[in-house]
Amino acid sequence: MITVGVRSSGARRAAPRALLLILTLLLAALVPAFGKHEPATAADSPNGGGVTLRVGIQQEFDSLNPFLGFSLASTDVFRLIYPTLTTYSAEDFSVVPELATDWKSSEDKLTWTFHIRRGVHWSDGRPVTAHDVAYTFKRMMNDPAAATANGNYVDNFSSVTAPDDRTVVIRTESPQATMRSIAAPIVPRHVWSRIDNVAEFANQRMPVVGSGPFVATEYRPQQYLTLRANEDFWRGAPTVDRLRFVNFENSDAAVQALRKGEIDVVRDLTPTQFDALRGTDDIRRVRGKGRRFFEIVLNPGAANSAGDPIGTGHPALRDARVRRAIDRAIDRERLVERVLGGYGTVGAGYLPPIFEDYYWTPPPEARRPFSIEAANRALNEAGYPRGPDGVRRGPSGRALDFEFVLHGDSPTDALVGKFVKEWLSRLGIRVRPQPVSDNQVNQRTTAGDFDMVVSGWSVNPDPDYVLRLQTCGARPKPGGGGLPDSFLCDRRYDELYAQQLAEFDHSRRVDLIRKAQRRFHRMATGLILFYPNTLEAYRSDRFAGFERQPSEGGVITAQQGYWGYYGARPTEQARTASGGAGYRSAAFVVVGVLLLGAIVVVSVAARRRRTAEHRE
Amino acid sequence: MSAPPNPTGVTGRRVAALAEGWRVYRADRGGLFGLAVLLLVVGLALLAPVLTRSEGLDVTRVRGEPLRPPSATNWLGTDESGRSVLLLTWWGARMSLLVGLSAAALSMVIGTVVGLLAAHFGGWVATLLLRVTDFFLVLPALVLAIALSTVLSRGVFTIVLAIGVTSWPQTARLVRAQTLTVETRPYIERARALGGGHRHLLGKHVLPAVLPLVFATTTLTVASAIIAESTLSFLGLGDPSMISWGSMLKSAMDTGAVTAGAWWYLLPPGLGIAIVVLSFTLCGRALETVLNPRLRGTRR
Repeated sequence: MITVGVRSSGARRAAPRALLLILTLLLAALVPAFGKHEPATAADSPNGGGVTLRVGIQQEFDSLNPFLGFSLASTDVFRLIYPTLTTYSAEDFSVVPELATDWKSSEDKLTWTFHIRRGVHWSDGRPVTAHDVAYTFKRMMNDPAAATANGNYVDNFSSVTAPDDRTVVIRTESPQATMRSIAAPIVPRHVWSRIDNVAEFANQRMPVVGSGPFVATEYRPQQYLTLRANEDFWRGAPTVDRLRFVNFENSDAAVQALRKGEIDVVRDLTPTQFDALRGTDDIRRVRGKGRRFFEIVLNPGAANSAGDPIGTGHPALRDARVRRAIDRAIDRERLVERVLGGYGTVGAGYLPPIFEDYYWTPPPEARRPFSIEAANRALNEAGYPRGPDGVRRGPSGRALDFEFVLHGDSPTDALVGKFVKEWLSRLGIRVRPQPVSDNQVNQRTTAGDFDMVVSGWSVNPDPDYVLRLQTCGARPKPGGGGLPDSFLCDRRYDELYAQQLAEFDHSRRVDLIRKAQRRFHRMATGLILFYPNTLEAYRSDRFAGFERQPSEGGVITAQQGYWGYYGARPTEQARTASGGAGYRSAAFVVVGVLLLGAIVVVSVAARRRRTAEHRE
Repeated sequence: MSAPPNPTGVTGRRVAALAEGWRVYRADRGGLFGLAVLLLVVGLALLAPVLTRSEGLDVTRVRGEPLRPPSATNWLGTDESGRSVLLLTWWGARMSLLVGLSAAALSMVIGTVVGLLAAHFGGWVATLLLRVTDFFLVLPALVLAIALSTVLSRGVFTIVLAIGVTSWPQTARLVRAQTLTVETRPYIERARALGGGHRHLLGKHVLPAVLPLVFATTTLTVASAIIAESTLSFLGLGDPSMISWGSMLKSAMDTGAVTAGAWWYLLPPGLGIAIVVLSFTLCGRALETVLNPRLRGTRR
């Protein structure tokens, strides 16, 4: 596109030919673009009929290797094709048996014994035994590459043994309340013991040997992943015969495909799309409570695990009074209304309201309601006077001028950046939004190279993982690595964290976790802005409904379990009809019209040129 | 240009040449149309802070409903934050024009310098410079620009740089060709014989002779620079806190304006790009006609 600028005089005569070339190229580019979606249409009547549940996703599978993949798309697939010891119920996230039928712990809570279900088989016919479980955990403990995705579960393990085919014994270094919810996928030993280098293994040999409700059978990177129902699944065969995840470049394309009936479920809708689908025939929308929180991290003086300062954080942000003043200048209700279109909950505590037990909101005396005046007053009292240019100065004379690191691809981040910039400018604080790639956001967060950064985590039903992010132990090692969030590292918070991890009484643990959130809120290193809803939609002419998690206001896809796909209820129409093929014919019409138009344009242009030459 | 030693001679000749040029330019209806549109757009863009209130761009202050179709209060509807699309398009023109002009200027400077030096000195200097030019010429410019704006920190300057350093090779080639022709003319030889140094020759004789062509080329480069800016912004490589036509289109796509059928959000920036690019191209073509008499005959 940049090169069109210069056109020398001699090229003028070649213009019609160039035009023809451009149009041909354009058409050539268009045809495969439409062709790309053909497989999804062909899925309506593939190998022997049956019902296919087609799910449109916008994220690519980062890896099909369960030791490596940690994107939402990949972990969603792992839950379908690999067993876990336990899982979370669809009703209310309570821990229920999966591969393990029951479990018990010793008096000192250091030894855990799991009993493995009988009669469960891998998809190649071999039985699933305790040795597979022990092998999986040992591999994660001994092979650093295998610890990439789920290493946190085995950090505290001292040994894993399988005394017989049905028993797994795990010993931990210290009591660990999360032992009942180890979400790591279990892999078949007879397949994986032959893999020497886990980090290089893509696990794309189809069908993938697994033992879940589905078996992965066909994978085309960036196009689709097909899974077939596992008829021998111990809980019973799934209600659909096939499940297919179809990749889309952007959410609008996915929504159009849903409208055409090319896919059955689409997730991660924007509020605008969700509203636009209201009242559409044969499409039902699902507004689910999200598991995610959205926060702004204020760099409180980042340090590594040795306690040495790292990064480029602004010194003024080390002052909790400044952080709390910034918190007061953010109108969360307006953000939920304007950025989320009302589809979300105003934030304050740490854990999202979907987990009712742990959800905490500050009591009236601890609240920091939106007030620019109060925030300005607080900054005046704290000793940050305005300079001649209206920007406040810290005790060292340095202006309060903050770099705000954002995810460049996220429209939510961009909007939040605009709002925060305007609000803080009224406090006399200059904010410079810096949208960068996701990788750069992660790098800069880990290195402490930010003043403010957008962060957010999906919370598991057991919140230990996200609670740990704010401890001193989560700070990066001097040699690299580590997954810090806000670099809080507060002695009081760490005490509460350690207590909750060792606490096995549920109500006492809930109390400790709420206290930890209160401490986090008081320190104001991470300002929780909101908990967005998960917006999904599905074809109601092909599916009567899905199992949601939790059953009250939950989601269909990307659950903590396989319930949504497993219990999909196809309609009579989906069982008999072949479903919409309108997309492909529409593509042909478009291509045809374009071709015709191109021929007309080119011939007219050529004629004009010719006559122009004759007239000379 | 510096004050000429002989007012009546040089100035008179230049005024006459300009008048003749304007006469030819006037005859090109497309060129006139392009010029008129450009003057209008640039004028409106410059006067935006006078004629409108920038508070309408502040997301925290607007009270309009998000994504509403055109109405009496918002002639072109509203965006996802409830801001007026008319206002956004108006202010977006400033950024699009600024980036387009700056990038074209940068590309012009690099291209002219490289072209002049390569043609004037010849030899190994030319070999070196032309190989560098060829290198940039064969690189897909958009890909290079994307790579550059990914590596560098985001901002207006990065975009200008990314477009500028990728679009100069054509100018360099053109300037080199023109310089080679100019340098064979007798007056250059005369100047050289009289002891004129490199700087004198290039600055006083070659550059003035090449400049008109450079301007015509640059006008065309502006058009492609504006498209490139929109492309980069649309791909999310621009500075989202700045309003440009490309970033408007990106926001529209990101928020799902297509699904919502919000044509009023997509059309204004799209048409803005099309009209401005068309105007620059028409002007550039008309300028070419002025400079190159051979082009006149074949046109109606």
